[in-house]
Amino acid sequence: MHIPDGYLSPQTCAVGFVVAAPMLATAAVRVKRRVKTRNVPTLAVLAAVSFLIMMFNVPIPDGTTAHAVGAALIAILLGPWAATIAVTVALAFQALLFGDGGVLAFGVNVVNMAIVMPWVAYGAYKLVSRGATLTAPRRIVAAFLAGYAGINASALCAAAELGIQPDLFHDAAGAPLYSPYHLAQTVPAMMLAHLTVAGLAEGILSAAVLAYLQRANLPLLRANHPGVPVDAAAATAEQKRRRRLRPGVVAVAVMAVLVVLTPLGLLAPGGAFGEDSPADLQSSLGLSAVPTGLARYSDLWQSALFPDYLSGSPWTYVVSAVVGIVVVGLVVHGAGLLLVRLLNRRATEPRERVEASR
Amino acid sequence: MTAPGRTVEVPAWLVEQNLALCPCGCIGKRRKGGFLAKTVRGGSAILQQVLFGEDVAGASGLLQRIDPRAKIVGLVLLLVTAGLAHSMVTLAVMYALTLGLAAASALPVGFFVKRVWLFVPIFTGIVVLPATLSVVTPGDVVLTLWHWNGTAQGLTAQGLTAAARVVCRVAVSISLVVLLTLTTPWVRLLAALRGLGVPKIFILIIGMAYRYLFLLLGVVTDMFQARQARTPGVPKHDREARAFVGAGVGALLGKSAQLSEEVHHAMVARGFRGDATTLERHRFRAADLAFAAAIVVAAALLIWGDHVLVPR
Amino acid sequence: MSHAERPHAEPLLVCRDLRYSYLERYPALDGVSLTVHRGERLALLGANGCGKSTLLKVLDGLVFPDSGSYTAFGEPVTEDTLEDEQMSEGFRSRVGFVFQNSDAQVFSPSVREEVAFGPLQLGLSRAETAGRVDDVLAMLGITELADRAPFQLSGGQKKKVAIATVLVMSPEVLLFDEPTAALDPRTQFWLVELVERLGEAGKTVVHATHDLDLLHRIADRCVVFSEEHRIVAEGTPGEILADRDLLVAVNLVHPAAGSVR
Repeated sequence: MHIPDGYLSPQTCAVGFVVAAPMLATAAVRVKRRVKTRNVPTLAVLAAVSFLIMMFNVPIPDGTTAHAVGAALIAILLGPWAATIAVTVALAFQALLFGDGGVLAFGVNVVNMAIVMPWVAYGAYKLVSRGATLTAPRRIVAAFLAGYAGINASALCAAAELGIQPDLFHDAAGAPLYSPYHLAQTVPAMMLAHLTVAGLAEGILSAAVLAYLQRANLPLLRANHPGVPVDAAAATAEQKRRRRLRPGVVAVAVMAVLVVLTPLGLLAPGGAFGEDSPADLQSSLGLSAVPTGLARYSDLWQSALFPDYLSGSPWTYVVSAVVGIVVVGLVVHGAGLLLVRLLNRRATEPRERVEASR
Repeated sequence: MTAPGRTVEVPAWLVEQNLALCPCGCIGKRRKGGFLAKTVRGGSAILQQVLFGEDVAGASGLLQRIDPRAKIVGLVLLLVTAGLAHSMVTLAVMYALTLGLAAASALPVGFFVKRVWLFVPIFTGIVVLPATLSVVTPGDVVLTLWHWNGTAQGLTAQGLTAAARVVCRVAVSISLVVLLTLTTPWVRLLAALRGLGVPKIFILIIGMAYRYLFLLLGVVTDMFQARQARTPGVPKHDREARAFVGAGVGALLGKSAQLSEEVHHAMVARGFRGDATTLERHRFRAADLAFAAAIVVAAALLIWGDHVLVPR
Repeated sequence: MSHAERPHAEPLLVCRDLRYSYLERYPALDGVSLTVHRGERLALLGANGCGKSTLLKVLDGLVFPDSGSYTAFGEPVTEDTLEDEQMSEGFRSRVGFVFQNSDAQVFSPSVREEVAFGPLQLGLSRAETAGRVDDVLAMLGITELADRAPFQLSGGQKKKVAIATVLVMSPEVLLFDEPTAALDPRTQFWLVELVERLGEAGKTVVHATHDLDLLHRIADRCVVFSEEHRIVAEGTPGEILADRDLLVAVNLVHPAAGSVR
């Protein structure tokens, strides 16, 4: 899944850096803002571990071996931000120290393996392990699914990035300039390998380590599970914590889904329903009179933002996709914040009443 | 060990064996054989490759004398040029350029060529092979292999061009990166990244991670060798083997947590407050500027030539 | 030559009734009081796990006691006072710590950067730092290691680098945790000579050790920890080594072993 240089157009690589940079900057700021200076050595050691995990051969049930990335595991143990930094550094080793390429493609690789993978894995783990005690077997299942989902999401991203190349970049004779395979070929090829082998390796590794830590090193596990009761006895003692909606997480999730879906826009035949331009309306629907309001506004929009974003060069499609995704993300984030504020107001009112009646 | 000026002899293991790790790094590869032996082998390969790199980087040659910042900027510029090139001629010229630079930098050229062409056929050649067929890349069929529904199917001109171009582009790109890494000591590479604006916190983390990579590598290798010594015959691939790998990584994580606590103490004891200052003493010399200028001119010429060769 | 007999030496580090437990469960210090005077060489003796390493960490302001007080150079040392930049810089530059695990202490990508780390953090200029680094490497005879990566060093070389990282800051007080552990005899001898020279130069040295053979050369005064994490005896090396019952009681010598020295 580690994409070497030469398979992706420089334009795609630039987009990779554009997407990766803000995430990495945020991660660095979050690490620095925490009062404890201890994060620096922890992350450094974890990055080394992440690199080493790629060296561990995991025996797969069919008698072969495969190796994992470990992003899911680190996300479970120390949170997705830590995993983002650790895997990024491990990838930097691969690219610079061992000269295995991937310098221009570094941004794209970071997006796939250091951002999508740990965050999807973390989401899956949180979802499945919700409400389970720290030593519950359900957490092992959750860790397996986290690794499995994380690496497959990551592979899907890589497949999408490779698969859009021949359609976006080819020479006059139609010969592809970069990766020659279309989405219809990259997606099945990548997913078959990852759904069967690599996904198992990542899942088995995450689950086996979690199971080991449950038995042998609970304090390490507890570090990133604040407030999770250790066992059933502690669970009954602890009150159930209220489920909280986190607008930031929701917005990031929505953006991630959009990023994955973006290449599909190139495959979809024709225009989207309701997005027809006035000219299309006239010809396809036989409308002779375009509504005057539509006529007026369509000019404004066409000149303002991205005129005909599918017909231009690949750049415009990519840029408009990034801008669109960011805008959608911001809107979802804002809506989420509003919703949380409303919910909190409603939630605090009854509690105040109860306290008053005591 | 890193005596400057010494001619570098290529150790046999470097040429014979596979590259450290799986060079792609990440895809789950299916390989038959014992997971223990492979893990142990992978560990020693990493260490040897790094030691070899330090040796070459300490030799005296053209690229070793250039400021790493100029080298990094030049590398990125040339990588982009390779990415933008449409013509095979352009790519061939670039490959010749990397060979020339390798020879001027006291790199054993035979090793340099093998290093790249061991990687390319395995991870690129096989991968792009099906793309030469008309089922993947439609176009003008030049070699008919079979007929399907009455139309000729086989190798297409477009497919062959595309495959050759990807293979060459990957070879050029990897040659360029290998040139940088083999002629720059790791410490100076880090300092250069810092000089080019990578945030300090990342440089600090990368530097420490590099340092502890080797310590933890020793831990892992010991662990697996101990197990190997106690496992007669071919290790089984069963539930117990998986539990061992889990326990191995788990123990590694536990050890790392402990280590990072100690390192944290050691840093705080010497005045670390979350923001590190580093020792940097690099000055751009005329030679570095000349090198950077030469790269810019070369890149511009290559792109211009490419446009002449393949008008678009 | 002996510094312990100075009756009115100035107290530098003063601990009163320190108590500390790991994870709020495993006690490491149980009511320890100790005063370190200027210019003395003090050894903290005790079996493994008696709390002497923890005490060194308290003395270096790395862990903070659950109760009790610690003052260094007349200023209280707590998590809060060390938050103050001036206090922190002053304290860190005056107290140096050589850790038992050199691997943890040598964390930079090269020896030169490792040795430069402390002075740079404490605000010395790059030029001055570079000069000091060269001096200290020359003094310890490891100039040729300057551009090596730490993983290429032997155990003894790593220990020398670790000591260089501390000496380069020229601290008044040096804390050594098990300095001679896992060193070959030649490096041990080198270290002992170094400690003697540091003592002559007026540095205050505190060791945590269970190495009784070298005690008379590296210390003027000893305090002995019991396995119950308390200080049970104090005296010159001669007095302590003569008290065989005490050494057996705190598990520093085996009852079946012959007499020390």
